[in-house]
Amino acid sequence: MNYIGKPLARREDVRFLTGRGNFVDDVKLANTAWIAFLRSPHAHARIRGIDSTAAAGMPGVLRVLTAADWKAAGLGELTCVHPMPFSDGRPMNEVLRPCFAADRVNHVGDVVAAVVAEDRYGALDALDAIEVDYEVLPAVSITARALDAGVPVVHERFQSNLVNEVVRGNKAAADAAFAAAAHVTELTVSSNRLAGNALEPRAYLADYNRATGQSTLWATTQMPHLLRRWICRYTLFMPENKLRVIAPDVGGGFGVKGHYAVEVATVVWAAKLLGRPVKWTCTRSELMMSDAQARDHYTRAKMAFSKTGEILAMQVETLASFGAYCSNFGPSIPGNSYPQTITGLYLTPHLHLRVRGVYTHTVPIDAYRGSGRPEATLVNERLMENGAREMGIDVVEIRRRNLIPHERFPYKTPVGRIYDSANPPLMLEKLVALSNYARLRTEQARRRKAGELVGIGLAAFLDKSGTGPSATLATKGGLHGGYESAIVRAHSDGKVTVFSGSHSHGQGHDTAFCQVAADRLGLPLEDISLVQGDTDSVPFGNGTWGSRSLSVGGIAIYKAADRVIDKAKIIAAHMLECAAPDLEYAQGQFTVAGTNRGVTFCQVAEAAHHGANCPTGPDFEPGLEATVFYDPPDTNDPSAMHLTLVSIDPTTWRVQVEAYYTLDDCGLVVNPLIVEGQVHGGLAQGIGQAMMEKVSYDADSGQLLTGTFMDYAMPRAADMPPLESDFICTLAPSNPLGVKGGSETGTIGPPAAIGNAIVDALWHLGVRHVDPPYTPHAVWKAVAGK
Amino acid sequence: MHSFEYRNPQTLAEAQALLRDTHGAKLLAGGMSLVPVMRLRLVEVPALIDLNRIAALSGITVSEGVVRIGAMTRHAAVAASAEVKAAIPALAMLAGGIGDPLVRNRGTIAGSLANNDPAACYPSALLGLESTVVTQQRRIPGDDFITGMFQTALAADEIITAVEFNAPRRAAYVKFANYSSRFSIVGVFVSRYASGVRVAVTGAGAHAFRVADLEKALSGNFSAAAIAGIAIDPANLMSDLHASAEYRAHLISGLAQRAVAQCA
Amino acid sequence: MSARVLHPVEMTVNGVTIRAQVETRQALAEFLRANAGLTGTHIGCDTSQCGACTVHVDGVGLKSCTLFAVQANGAAVTTIEGVAPQGAMHPMQQAFQEHHALQCGFCTPGMIMSALDLVRRNPEPTDDEIRQALEGNICRCTGYYNIVKAIAAGARAMRAPAGK
Repeated sequence: MNYIGKPLARREDVRFLTGRGNFVDDVKLANTAWIAFLRSPHAHARIRGIDSTAAAGMPGVLRVLTAADWKAAGLGELTCVHPMPFSDGRPMNEVLRPCFAADRVNHVGDVVAAVVAEDRYGALDALDAIEVDYEVLPAVSITARALDAGVPVVHERFQSNLVNEVVRGNKAAADAAFAAAAHVTELTVSSNRLAGNALEPRAYLADYNRATGQSTLWATTQMPHLLRRWICRYTLFMPENKLRVIAPDVGGGFGVKGHYAVEVATVVWAAKLLGRPVKWTCTRSELMMSDAQARDHYTRAKMAFSKTGEILAMQVETLASFGAYCSNFGPSIPGNSYPQTITGLYLTPHLHLRVRGVYTHTVPIDAYRGSGRPEATLVNERLMENGAREMGIDVVEIRRRNLIPHERFPYKTPVGRIYDSANPPLMLEKLVALSNYARLRTEQARRRKAGELVGIGLAAFLDKSGTGPSATLATKGGLHGGYESAIVRAHSDGKVTVFSGSHSHGQGHDTAFCQVAADRLGLPLEDISLVQGDTDSVPFGNGTWGSRSLSVGGIAIYKAADRVIDKAKIIAAHMLECAAPDLEYAQGQFTVAGTNRGVTFCQVAEAAHHGANCPTGPDFEPGLEATVFYDPPDTNDPSAMHLTLVSIDPTTWRVQVEAYYTLDDCGLVVNPLIVEGQVHGGLAQGIGQAMMEKVSYDADSGQLLTGTFMDYAMPRAADMPPLESDFICTLAPSNPLGVKGGSETGTIGPPAAIGNAIVDALWHLGVRHVDPPYTPHAVWKAVAGK
Repeated sequence: MHSFEYRNPQTLAEAQALLRDTHGAKLLAGGMSLVPVMRLRLVEVPALIDLNRIAALSGITVSEGVVRIGAMTRHAAVAASAEVKAAIPALAMLAGGIGDPLVRNRGTIAGSLANNDPAACYPSALLGLESTVVTQQRRIPGDDFITGMFQTALAADEIITAVEFNAPRRAAYVKFANYSSRFSIVGVFVSRYASGVRVAVTGAGAHAFRVADLEKALSGNFSAAAIAGIAIDPANLMSDLHASAEYRAHLISGLAQRAVAQCA
Repeated sequence: MSARVLHPVEMTVNGVTIRAQVETRQALAEFLRANAGLTGTHIGCDTSQCGACTVHVDGVGLKSCTLFAVQANGAAVTTIEGVAPQGAMHPMQQAFQEHHALQCGFCTPGMIMSALDLVRRNPEPTDDEIRQALEGNICRCTGYYNIVKAIAAGARAMRAPAGK
């Protein structure tokens, strides 16, 4: 192997560094019109009427569109690709996001109308001229209150805000374990609502060619094929072969650019109506009220322990916000990801979990890096450490007593999910060594004596990635596949193009995927290039989400590359007049074993394209490429542990994260530079959730209070703590490379680890819990007992 | 935002005439406050008068204990000025903490003071130091300049030309910033003159204000201990998404003590 | 609702003179992207915080979203495209690549321009000074660790005598 495992600098960087990236807003087409969206300023209101006459008459305005136009055109809806029924079998109380709100608006930002005009200024000016007669109604925005008696109901036909109820585990067994427990720890925990906030706002450019009937869409999407399918099948009712979706350079996604967003189908439709290109770029303040948001759980949970701190049972009762509508993957987060990881890396004999999805008059909730695991880990790990403190057991020691031993994997959890491989005890010991835990405790004792507030906290957790296979996904409610596509195509000169149905928006696939291809093909990396993000040239792929690119997309490439070499061997054998098994292949060279007769890969490729010096017969075809649709046999389970040291300013109550340690297991690492970068980036988002980020709505009116970066805090360089990282590797049993996902663990640990450290620091002041974000104000309130 | 008329006068007299004669015109200094609210379509501005070409409005001079900063002097220049660092280091430090380096390359002292954002830093220096706002018409004592939330004593056609600060014996500025906007949740400016003590607070109310109780205690005994026990009344302080009035009251006390300690 | 107000503007961008009639409300960032055809300068927010739009105007780093194009009349503007001659990357750009200081690339032009402005003010920044200097540049992908390393390395490379 030449390339796998090497920390190669990325080839794709040059265009980004020199300002020659090709993001959707960079794409220019002649005669492009601009679309702008009018959004509700109210969280809940009846639309009594919309008067767009003035707007329609303004200079440069081409069309004004509302729900009435949408309906008259017979158009459909968005889709929820992961519905989650009640555990008793009833379908969930599903209401999809409307492309245009018809008689009600249900969150600030709900789309009410759209203007298409000759340019952006014209469209924006016309928006101001649209008169909407709203009858403002009472709103509910706080998740914890959504099922209280008397609160406003978002969708009246259900007569409550309950979306669904998912129950896992065994209540009777859990209750019995609690009754017999030596110690029970209880907590009420909230996971704060977040906005993904990739730096590139969403943008769509659609064109329609009247002569060919062909639509083309440039979109900031992580899933071009799925987006095409959703638009065609559920919304605009057009044939898939009439829509080409191109995802060029995309500036960060984190799951949010994988959702089926409210605006995109409208942009495609508008282009069709006008027969010319139509463009839209979201502003940041629009994004804050339109991009689906994340997390927002309210949980009451308890953990039962034996006298010596072994977990006997866990009981979890969660309200999970859905926002005002069901969004794409949203239901799978509290419905699948959360229950599957709530017991983390611990031997947990009994579990009873009830998650109820609830509607509120807020922006819909959907997947965002971590998706359910940060929520689960916060609950699990806060119970663990509070339990340890209450029982007087060291927080590292209590982990030792509960971690699933290496030999117990594959391990079946109380919800029936099987974790594939991990070595939690080894990970813990390495983390203890990396952080020099004993020295940290000694230091802490010394500083406490001097009057400082210092805390140490851990988080140990399981991630889950590479979701598949498709059949299993379906049993869990998924309406989309878990496979990934790849073509490995050798050209007539022996150079290679790899086509991947996955999509890179920062993950470095152009380098990492080609490292895999180069090693399997035995060719130099510079001879291989990657094509992605174009439904015209790439076979159907399920795109990038859930840390699946390498373990699914990368393995599809692996297998396709192997098939190319298999075929090349047959051609080479023919050229060398020997039997294929007599050939050895290395570094682009086929050699007859024991001789120095051979041909190069390039020569084979040339022969394959010429078609003449190839085997004859009905079973052989010219050309040298392979297409693979790879459905992984199983999900894979990365794991990680974090440890942190914090100090707290006794005047301002600002938390300083003084040191942060991470230990990751993501199986085999193809490019250490890239994987480490993923850990860093995830960590910034995890620290963001822990320290400062929160989407806030007014409790009474439902007004969005964090509408821009002035109020939604984004971590900056100076907010990142000193970091030390290490890795172990337990190979994923389900793929030939043994790779696991490596990109989400950073988001999972910090709210739990830092929360634990803060409680450690303030335990003697009577503080038992603080909810994230751990702002100075929040810590002050906790200490003051408010 | 809607279109606007744009003028960029080369002299102060030209600017004044334009301001007087153009209905609804606003002065454009650094633009770090005005342009974002225009782009968010929160204000309609029919005409902008750009002051950035008027060279006479920039510059720093220090003479006989008075630091005079031209209206259009950038925060970065104040922060880097050897003369300001020597005469009133707390002022240089304050300027060096406004926004971020790119904002500081452009933002101006007059723009900040004329806008008078409740959480801006410069208003606390205006009250925290003996100061004068100089316009083309008159000299306004710093203590009289701030009249309300985003309100100042400036007349409609009045243009700040410079701001003067008397150098104190000692001064310090302690800023506790908001994670998101990086403006002050609370900022406290403390100075000590032969003639008395000033304690000014920004970020905590409708506008910057002086705290008489703290000034009185410090005049008798300039030490953190002298004010440690003085409770600040949260009644007139701001509560918002980021901090309650009670927390702000708590911060004012704590940060004032820190500022006093830094003055030692 | 006012009619469109157009204003003549002339500036040099990366050494090339550009003349246009622009709407007064057009930001410099939009002008660069639309009129000058330079899409390397990005727009990431609307409150002048993210820094993706950072360019140099008359040698000084500025957020081009917070400047109207008409204000840059007569100015010399440098964008990311003008940082290095064709075919060769500037030492700061090279340092970013070596240290994996970018992932999606959207914040990168602004980071580089801001880093260059930092080095102009402070040729030997410490890691802490670099972190503080990046207050106005948000990255959502990298977690900043590699960006800080890269800027330190880039600054060192810029100090090294030519030909190293």
